[in-house]
This record gives sequence, structure tokens and C-alpha cells, in this order.
Amino acid sequence: MSESSALLSTLGSHLGAKLLESFQLDASGALVATVAASDLRDVALFIHEGLDARFVISVGTDCRPMGQGFRVDHIFSQDRRRTWMVLRAFTGADDPKVPSITPVVRAAAWAEREFQDLLGIEAVGHPDPRRLVLADDWPAALHPLRRDVPYDIHPEPAVGQAPPLASPPGNAMTVPIGPFFPVLEEPVFLKVFADGEEVVGLDYRGFFSHRGIEKLGDSKLTYNEVPFLAERICGICGFVHSTAYAQALENAVGAEVPLRARYIRSVVLELERIHSHLLWLGIAGHILGFDTVLMQTWRMREPVMWLMERITGNRKSYGMNLVGGVRRDIPKDEHPEIVRVIQRIEKEWLKIIEAVVEDTPLLMRLSKVGVLSALDARELGSVGPTARGSNRPIDVRIDHPYAAYDRIPVHGVWKDTCDAAGRTLVRLEETLESIRQVKQLLAEMPDGPIMHTFDEALPPGREGISAVEAPRGEVIHYVMTGEDARPYRWRVRAPTYANLQALAASLQGMRIADVPITLGSMDPCFSCTERMQVVDVRSGAVRVYSPGELREMARAGLGRGGAR
Amino acid sequence: MNETAIVTLKALAYLALVLFASPLLEGVMRKVKAIVHSRKGPPITQPYLDLAKLLIKEDVVSEPGPVARFAPPAAFACVLASAFFVPFGVSAPAGSAGDLFVFIYLVTLSTSCVMAAGLAQSSPFSHLGSSREMMMLISAEAVIVISLLGVAVGGHGALLSGLAVSGFRWSSLVGLCCYVLAMQALLGKLPFDIPEAEQELMEGPFIEYSGPSLALFKWTFYMKQLVFGSLFFNLFIGWPRVAGGSVAGALLNFAVNFVAVLVLSLVVVLIDATNPRLRIDQSLRFFGGLAGVAALGVGLAALGW
Repeated sequence: MSESSALLSTLGSHLGAKLLESFQLDASGALVATVAASDLRDVALFIHEGLDARFVISVGTDCRPMGQGFRVDHIFSQDRRRTWMVLRAFTGADDPKVPSITPVVRAAAWAEREFQDLLGIEAVGHPDPRRLVLADDWPAALHPLRRDVPYDIHPEPAVGQAPPLASPPGNAMTVPIGPFFPVLEEPVFLKVFADGEEVVGLDYRGFFSHRGIEKLGDSKLTYNEVPFLAERICGICGFVHSTAYAQALENAVGAEVPLRARYIRSVVLELERIHSHLLWLGIAGHILGFDTVLMQTWRMREPVMWLMERITGNRKSYGMNLVGGVRRDIPKDEHPEIVRVIQRIEKEWLKIIEAVVEDTPLLMRLSKVGVLSALDARELGSVGPTARGSNRPIDVRIDHPYAAYDRIPVHGVWKDTCDAAGRTLVRLEETLESIRQVKQLLAEMPDGPIMHTFDEALPPGREGISAVEAPRGEVIHYVMTGEDARPYRWRVRAPTYANLQALAASLQGMRIADVPITLGSMDPCFSCTERMQVVDVRSGAVRVYSPGELREMARAGLGRGGAR
Repeated sequence: MNETAIVTLKALAYLALVLFASPLLEGVMRKVKAIVHSRKGPPITQPYLDLAKLLIKEDVVSEPGPVARFAPPAAFACVLASAFFVPFGVSAPAGSAGDLFVFIYLVTLSTSCVMAAGLAQSSPFSHLGSSREMMMLISAEAVIVISLLGVAVGGHGALLSGLAVSGFRWSSLVGLCCYVLAMQALLGKLPFDIPEAEQELMEGPFIEYSGPSLALFKWTFYMKQLVFGSLFFNLFIGWPRVAGGSVAGALLNFAVNFVAVLVLSLVVVLIDATNPRLRIDQSLRFFGGLAGVAALGVGLAALGW
């Protein structure tokens, strides 16, 4: 890893005595630079600006059982050098706090709020320290990802913990989009402020049903059970999560995955991208009222789902990945059927691209809509088609090759229009590229085993990072091994987490009619809820009903017109 | 038969057709849309079932008040009444009692009722929908009015039944194109279903309405399809029509008119199924230009073309 050693010497010469420790984290060549907590902001600024690294995610870890207090890792990606960089700092067991890096690295805003919520590590100087992940009725002093909090805790519902949401500026009207809205498949609450039809501001509340999946992985499941849970993080592209988790652990312990298994992973990943992009185009059409697009793309998508069922046993949640390889082979006699199905899709897809490019009304609704500048896309950490539609040439398959992507050429697709039309075209062309890749992967798939055999138990305390280019963008998994054959810490960052932070920037100055398609063009993926918030539009007052109150109201029966 | 009996019978036939055949148009349109979607689609009688279901349901009103109470029946009544001034292959039963302008007043009043119904609610989606309805009224409906004026100028009269029989003119061709495009907006079809915009405003002005009130709004739109379709067919096409004043001939013309409107509905639904929804500003610009073209048609008509 000459790139990482070059990077290491750059870091060493620039930081001097500030660099307390540096080492290679895992088999992927990820670098760790440990600094004093007080130096975090300066060093983050240097890595972000000086080394032109892209902020990825922060990982907070409770290291008190090891006598090290709390640990904060800010993970950056050096896309040009194909290297992950981890900026690490420790803070005391009592009253843990680190300086916030958000003032210098805007993309870190949510990541810092998250470890503040889940681990109680205060990000000092954060411009917006409101609660992000925890439920509105979760007690303030209880941080669920700390090691001494059991995974199945049911605390008494607390009151007054809901984060205050912004009020409309001036005479603007509040348009409550969500938590349930026709074109949002999952709950999210966007409090949109509009002056007439123009959007003048926005506040966000999400994470309505944070499922505590990381906590389960850290405390209940074993290494080879986690992939099955990871796959259920997403209802469309679950395979990316099980792959990223398995790869992170393989990187951590330096396991060599057989080549055939890596090819199989790539094939399934690309097939998943094909059906996910088909699904997305349908939803985008539906958002614009163009239901013919929805019905036709979903009709086209169905044969891919049947194909997935044929080769994995399931339409979704394939259960193919384990640490060290895959559980099921794709035998040679299945290859012609796969090729036949994707070739038919390719034919229809070419027609669809032609139709979209020539459809003036459709382009009128997509061009100059949801504009996200390349600079904002970088600063806010956008990934995947959202970033590539804004002229950001980043693609994990190229920048951090995994599975079989170092064996076949990957032709990245990016557009410089920086709007919903750009993001649409990126996905349209990417699908063709995926079809080409599947054909090549199948043609060149080598023979051999599909699973690495582990001779001994995995050692504790090893760390690994891995990323996968999901249909929606970069998925990151970080794993630290622990005792009892289960992860000590497992951190997941889905692409929507990164992309959603750019929503406010891309909605500014748009019209109300553009809100659904702007959100849709990022292909968001949220989760499920059990609470609701009611906004009285006339007074602007926000009243949040607790689950208890809602139950009471439901029992009492809502009278006529009494739903307010 | 004396004059009064004929008018009475005609009025009854009109009433029956407008009330009970209009959902059939909607049913056919849904079926055609389903075919374009590669779907099987609901049976063509589905709109009747929808109306029946809504009419027997409870009317849940979130902001009770006279406007919310009376706007739905008023919108319904206006469109129903407007039908009696429109020739349906035969001269209209109230054709001599009111002219083109009475028709326009009634239709505009119906749209205004929808707007008022939306404004009577406190939902921001409802308000946005009503303000969009207003903008569509001053743009799309204006185009309809101008193209009808062209026919009136060309036909030297304002009684719709009198205009119906006047022959082909170049100005009519201009008016025809403008009318068809604007009709799409008045019927709440894509790319101009902007006030209701399910995916943006969750049905806009209608969001808070349910049960019988919602049924009346839906029925209003079904009836509009028949009324505007007939108006188009009789004023701009006028073919095929059986000559002669016999009762059988009149009945045949009446039936042919319905079939013609059915065919026109296919055009409407095909435009609907092959377009995304435009934004209100885009549609305002579109209808602004179209109003200019329609005005040109009036100019041509004035020159006697």
C-alpha cells in the first residue's frame, strides 16, 4: 500500500507532534491518525481541505470496558488515492466531550448529533445540537449504544424531549409534508415553509423508527447472524448491506475471499442495482403524475425479481452472504437465463432512455429542479447518483474497488447539470452499465470454492471498514471485533443518511410542486414510525401527541371533526 | 306534440343523460388508461360504484360552515344547469333561454364553488389547491371563453344551439385546437391536474371532503366531461349529423353525440396517460400563449374566415 504510506508521511510531516499515533487499520489499507481531542477540529480541517478528503461518517465507541473512555472516529475518504482515513480521538469516561468539527466540515452535522444522542459524547460547538435519532419520548440521560445499557431496555416514556422545530420565517406558510404523504413510501416529516408557491425554508424530523439494529448486532447476534439482519436494513437493496458488513469483517481479520464468491457478489449487486433503478424510475414518474412510467417500469422489473428468486431463492433478502464468501453458487447452467432476462431489459431500457430524453414536458419538470451545486454536493457529503448528477466523479466501485470490481472495467457515469434531470440520466445510463457488467462477470467467472474457511476463532479488537456502491450511493460499514464471536461495535451508514443532508440546499428557491420530485430524485430510503406530530397551521404551534395520549384518544373515539 | 311537451321530454332526456351516462365516460376513460398502463383496470361501471359508496357514507367535515356545506351541491348544480344550454346533437332544451354567456357564467361559478370549498378549510394543501384553481380559472378557462367567442363572432350569434349548425370555418380550426388543450385543464386531467395534484397537494381543494360532498365534486367532474365534450363536438365538428326534424332523427343525433363524446374522451385520456404534470407557472405560460392564439382565431372569425 504505497498510497497509504505516502499519505502517512504527508500527515506526519504536516501534523508533527499533534499526531499521537498512526497505523494501518485493516487489510484495505485504511489509515488511522490519533490526535488529542482538542486538536480534532484543526486536523479535520486539514484533512478535509488540505488533503481534499471527503467526509464519510463518524463512529462513536464506548471503550470504557477497555479502560479507554469513549472513542470518536471521523472517517474520511481519499477518493483519488483509494484510501480511507480515520481521524481518531479519545475522551474521558466521565462527561465525555469532543470539539465539534461541523463548523469546518459541514457534512459531519448529523454524524455528530448521532453520537451525541446514542453515546452521550457531546459535540461542543455544534451549530445545531438538537436531538436527531432518539425518539421524542426517550429519556435525556439514557444513551442506548453505551455498553452498560441493555439492548431490550424499555424506559418510561419521557416528556418534553422532542426537538423543537423551526418556525416559518415572516409571513410564510407551513406546508407539512409527512410524516405520511402519498409519494413518501416511508415516514419522514419535512416542515416546509412556503411563500405562496415558493419554498423559503425547511426543517426536518426523521428517524421515526430507529430500529436499534446496530445495538442488536453488538450485543445479541454473532458474526454470521449479522449479515441476515444487515440485509433487512433496506427493503430494496439489502444485499449491499450484507456485502459491506461481510467485507468489513473480512478486511478486519484479513480473510482472503475466494474469487468466485467475489464475482457472485458483484453479479447479485449489479442485478440489485438494475431492479432498484427500475423501481426508482417508476416512482419518479408517479411523483410527476406520469403513472404510465410507473406501471411500465414495474412490469419490466418483475422478470428481474423472478430471476433473483431463481438464483438466490428469494425476490428480496437473498440470504447469500456470510463472512468469508457466499452460501449459494450461481451454476453455469443458470447463466444463459440471466443473460436472456437482462438482454430483454436492455432492449426496452434503450427505448425508455430515448423516450425520456425526447419528452419535453418531462424534462420541463426535471431540469433546473432540485439544484445541488458540485460544491454543495462535496461539502454536504452527497454520494451515489445524487453526487454524480452534480458532476462529482465518485463511485465506490472505482474509488475503493471491492468484490470483483478490480477485475472488470467500471465505466462511471456523471452529469454536470446538477439537477433532478442529471440524477435521472445518471441512473438511466448506469443501468445499461450494470447490464454490461453482469454479462462480463458471468462470462469471466472463474471456477473454484465460494467460501473461505476460517481455521480459528476471529481475534477480538480488530477493526475493518468497507464500502459498497449501493443503487442510492455509498454504503459504509465499520466493524470492530469482540468477544463471544460477535462484533464489539458495528456502524452502518446508508447513502440516504448522507444525501438527505443536501435536501435543504437543493430545495431553496424551488416551488412546492418541486418538493416531491426533488426528494424523489435522491431516491430516499427511510424507516417506520409509531408517533405523530400535529401542526396547527393558523397559529404555527406544534403539538406533539405522546403514544399514550394517542392511545387514549383512540380509545375515547375521535368525534366528528375532532381529529385536531 | 306541442312545443312544451317536446321541451319537457328533451329536458328529461338531457337530465338522464348528464346524470347517469356521465360516469360511464369516466369508466371508459379509466379502462383505456389501464390498457395504456398494461393493467387490467376496474370494470367500466366502477365510477357508479364509487359514487354509490361515497353517497351512503358519513359526511365528515373538518371545518363545518355554510361554505363547506353548500359549495359541493352548488358546484354540482351549476354544471348540471349549464348542460341545458348546450346542444347535444339536438338543440338544447333551454337553448333559447340563455346564451353562450350564461353557460360561461355557470361553469365559472362551479369552479368558484370548488375554490371556495378549498378556502373554507384550514389545510395548507387545500389553500394551495384553491389558489392554483384560481390561476387555472384565469388562464385555461379564459382560453375556452376566447375560443367560444371566436365561434360566436363567426356564427353572428350567441345562442349555442344556433351556433351549432353553422358550417366549417378556418377560425373554427384555430378555436378547436385551443379548446381541446384547455378542456384538458378544465376536466382536471394531466398534464394540467395541477390544483388537485395528488402527489403534491393530496387532491388540493378536495382534501378535507368525504362522503356525499366528495361524491358531488366527483360527479361534477364526470358531468363536465360530457358537457364540454358535447360543446366541442357540436360547435367545432358538427359531424356526422342526420338531417331532418323527425323524432327518430333527433334521437339518432342525440345518440351519435354521445358516441362522439366517448371518442373524444379517448383523446383526453391518451393525453392524460402520456404526460407528466406541469408546474403551475409552466401551465400559466402555456395558456398565456394559447390565449394569444385563440384571440387570433377571434380575429379571423371577425374577418369572416
